[in-house]
Amino acid sequence: MVRGNRPLLTDAFGRQLTRRRALQASLGAGAALAGMRGTPFPAAAQDSAAADVTGDFDWKRNDGTTIRVLLNEHPYSAALKANLKTFQDLTGITVESDTFPETNYFDKLTVDLQSGQASYDAFMLGAYMVWQYGPPGWLEDMNPWIENASATNPEYDWEDVYPNLRTSDNWSLVVGEPLGSGGQYALPWGFETNTVMYNSEVFDKLGVQPAETMDELVELAAKLDADASGAGFDGMYGIATRGARQWATIHPGFMTQYSREGGKDFELQDDVLVPVMNSDVAVAFTDKFATMMRDSGPANWTNYFWYEVGTDLGAAKAAMIYDADILGYFQNQPKGSSIAGKVAWHPGPKGPDGSLLTNQWIWSLGMNSKSQNKSATWTFLQWATGKEHLRYAAIEGNMVDPVRASIVEDPEFQDKMSGNINYLETFNAIINDTKILFTPQPQFFDATTLWAGALQEIYGGADAKETLDALVEEIQAATE
Amino acid sequence: MSGSMAPAPAGQATDGLLPAWRRWARPYLLVLPAVALTIGILYPFVQGAIYAFQNYKATRPDPAFIGFRNFERILTDEGFWHSVSVTAKFAVGATVVETVLGVAVALLLARSSMVSRVLERFPILPLMVAPIIATIMWRLMMQPSVGILNYVLRPLGLGDLAWTDTPTMAMISVILIDVWIYTPFVALLVLAGLRSLPRAPFEAASVEGAGFWFTFRNLTLPMLWPYILVAVIFRFMDSLKVFDIIFALTGGGPGDATMALQVQAYQDAIPFSNFSLGQTYMLILWAVVYIATFGLIKVLGKAQARAAGV
Amino acid sequence: MAAIDPNATPLELTSDAPTKRRWTVGGIALDLVTVVYFLFALFPLVWMLLLSLKAQDQLFTTYFRFTPTLDAYRAVLGLDASGSVPFVRFFFNSLIVSFGAVLISLLVGVPAAYAFARYQFKGSENLLFTLLSFRFAPELMVIIPIYVIYQRLGLFDTHVGLIWVYQLITLPLIVWILRSYFQDLTPELEQSALLDGYSRPQAFVKVALPLVKPGMAAAALLAFIFAWNSFIFPFVLTGSNAQTVTVGALSFMGGATPRYNLTAAAALIALIPPLLLALSIQRYLVRGLTFGAVKG
Repeated sequence: MVRGNRPLLTDAFGRQLTRRRALQASLGAGAALAGMRGTPFPAAAQDSAAADVTGDFDWKRNDGTTIRVLLNEHPYSAALKANLKTFQDLTGITVESDTFPETNYFDKLTVDLQSGQASYDAFMLGAYMVWQYGPPGWLEDMNPWIENASATNPEYDWEDVYPNLRTSDNWSLVVGEPLGSGGQYALPWGFETNTVMYNSEVFDKLGVQPAETMDELVELAAKLDADASGAGFDGMYGIATRGARQWATIHPGFMTQYSREGGKDFELQDDVLVPVMNSDVAVAFTDKFATMMRDSGPANWTNYFWYEVGTDLGAAKAAMIYDADILGYFQNQPKGSSIAGKVAWHPGPKGPDGSLLTNQWIWSLGMNSKSQNKSATWTFLQWATGKEHLRYAAIEGNMVDPVRASIVEDPEFQDKMSGNINYLETFNAIINDTKILFTPQPQFFDATTLWAGALQEIYGGADAKETLDALVEEIQAATE
Repeated sequence: MSGSMAPAPAGQATDGLLPAWRRWARPYLLVLPAVALTIGILYPFVQGAIYAFQNYKATRPDPAFIGFRNFERILTDEGFWHSVSVTAKFAVGATVVETVLGVAVALLLARSSMVSRVLERFPILPLMVAPIIATIMWRLMMQPSVGILNYVLRPLGLGDLAWTDTPTMAMISVILIDVWIYTPFVALLVLAGLRSLPRAPFEAASVEGAGFWFTFRNLTLPMLWPYILVAVIFRFMDSLKVFDIIFALTGGGPGDATMALQVQAYQDAIPFSNFSLGQTYMLILWAVVYIATFGLIKVLGKAQARAAGV
Repeated sequence: MAAIDPNATPLELTSDAPTKRRWTVGGIALDLVTVVYFLFALFPLVWMLLLSLKAQDQLFTTYFRFTPTLDAYRAVLGLDASGSVPFVRFFFNSLIVSFGAVLISLLVGVPAAYAFARYQFKGSENLLFTLLSFRFAPELMVIIPIYVIYQRLGLFDTHVGLIWVYQLITLPLIVWILRSYFQDLTPELEQSALLDGYSRPQAFVKVALPLVKPGMAAAALLAFIFAWNSFIFPFVLTGSNAQTVTVGALSFMGGATPRYNLTAAAALIALIPPLLLALSIQRYLVRGLTFGAVKG
């Protein structure tokens, strides 16, 4: 169980902290933990409540139970609520859901988990949150449940979920250790890969093609920025990405291209986790990216959340965006925006070695380790992440991108997406290279928030090398 | 005349016929329900404060007491002092602008012109939109690509303002939104004060042919001072703990340019789940606000006493 | 007593007092300045109104010329299929908890304010200041402990729970404003009532209370507005039963595409109750917000 891991972490996080030092200390912990990489973790299956479920699988096993679920206001949760009656008829389980606005959703979830109250049996979370919620033991390991044929329906087909998605919620809880081993702390539900999306009308009119390398992207953005206004697209600029001072600025387009160019966030050097956002490739790319945004991006870029990125594409103000692929999808819906039907997708520039590495955001469903209704909650989770509901949600609702290969390959889904120029081609081109490109560690949010702050400073004219050195120092100072 | 902050002793005087214990107990009994209702909050407050002396964070679920080490660390961290300076700049900037503007608006509305009579009904409207929603709307208005502000300001030659792109502009924008929301609060308090001023001294001044500025400096302002000060106290205290507006507009950026204390505290306590650290920030902030309020109220008491002597 | 004399004539401060010529250059200039401020104050609200009347695909294409539609209002009010946010229920929740909170604050705050104004008792200054200091405590500092307590006491996601925690917002405001009003009331009035044979509580209810009505109205309105707009308490302390309009309006910004039109519509609908309240007590409001009024 997770609990067995606590002493490890507690011993390792031996220092008391200021804001800046908080990060270093935990990474110091990472180092200490890394030194114990060989230590086997107590097998989760042994004391999992999943072991109590025996006999034949039965949807009605928990008939009459009520579970509580915390959701984010989102098309995914809307599709869930629209189909909930099917689940309740099938299982006799009542699902009570509380839905909260996205701006503060994770605050709500963190407060609840931190309080130890177990008010919710299940909740939506992102894969990065596993790194924060996993180590304190707040999340139930789903592996014993998936593996228990008495608890899981035979049609569940876990392998149908794209492997890189399954891996993303699968972690050993050892700071710095790659994803893909240890507990399955959440189930992928719906996800966003990152691509270039562009206004095809503008591209056609100007006779330009999407960029295949980073230098081409910089050139293309500049050309669009210079020419689009004159071609009848009033006030149009070259490219939009997120730029606000928050962790979410780093993870979409920036991290994707950063990785394709060979950049890393951390490296294990002699079992010590070292931030390397100031490596030569990192500095060169970050400088190029910030300069591109300054020259060809929106004015006020440092205020860009995904809201602004999406609305600028839809308002025909951004000629292209480099962000979550579903942003384009929603702007492309009939009546969704003024350029509905004209959005086109492209995998984005390849790295120097042809790399199409792509970062991803995964809305997942997790189970509270303190839940009193684990068996009923698991029944719900396997249904909500199962083929039938996800197929319904993708085709009847707007649950894109689907996490299951069978749905992406479904002719009905392909038909539904056919109005989105090159959406599927792009998706298929990068799906195998789409994975989480960050190093798992609980201080992910601190590190990426500071990183976004540094990016803003470089955009504002600060020297890239100096700023990134300072960033690394800020993250690292305590390891002296 | 009982304008000062010192409680009027009239209660005791009129209770002369009651038995001594009831006389003694009456004020406490009157205050009791209010205190009882809020005393419940003392427990969470103390509990919240205790965290500041521990090293609790999500990744360390078994917190230990570490005395004043959180305070030591924070007070020697340059990030903290940067936040202090951001908070001070914001609080002083917002309070000064709101006070000056609020007083001006109140003076304008106190005129008997038709325009003032019509508009008098609306000054409080901005106060009625929840600050977090108001900020989202301002965010959209400030967006250069699709926002309305630059479009409307273009004829004035201000069509290319990047509202939050530089540290200075970001601070100005945050203050601007605060000013939009809370100037009505100041204007209202001051207008109420204006309306209750005695007429005689102004009539005398008018008879002697005193000009507007003379009257304003020597009569209006001194008599209005206690009201202005009350508004200043409320605004200054609230802006020291500014959160919503900065959180929703800049998140503390660009860089660290608008990282006010409570925004930092929030980040540490919740998204970064370093709960004890965030609590320490907040305890320090609370102490600062507490002390500042205490001082301002003393000043207010004196000002009111002085004004009462006019 | 001037501050609470309902018949007092408002003070004229500037040159265009009725005794002088009505339209002077200076007067018009000042009118213009007034209008400029109100352009600034009201423009964002007008802009929100325009946004709320736009369809999603016209949100950002034009500023002023568009085909107005009430779709956003329909969606917010749950009159079409798209609405997944039960905004109407949140609206009633807000009404219940905001009115409830103000009512309770008046019930316990008026006697307290009276005591603070009329009696000199040991610890009164400290108690009074402590009540005020609650208003200045960062909400985030107490929110997790309150969350735990609420979960244990069954107050989580209830109206009663919110009404209680809103006392932190409403009570200090009401006590502080009303205390000043009671201070301004000369004690002789009550004393003569006592001499006329009223009991002390009677004298309070029949003599003192009516005289501070304007103050009560004003304080109650401000307290109502602050309670109505409160975000962090209802956000953390409710689930789906007691959620309020502020949280609800924000919900339209989430998901896959920011619905500015719905958010604006929701915010404008949420503006109605405080606005109606303000207009209905307008007369009291401007006159009533006089802390510790100063008399000549």
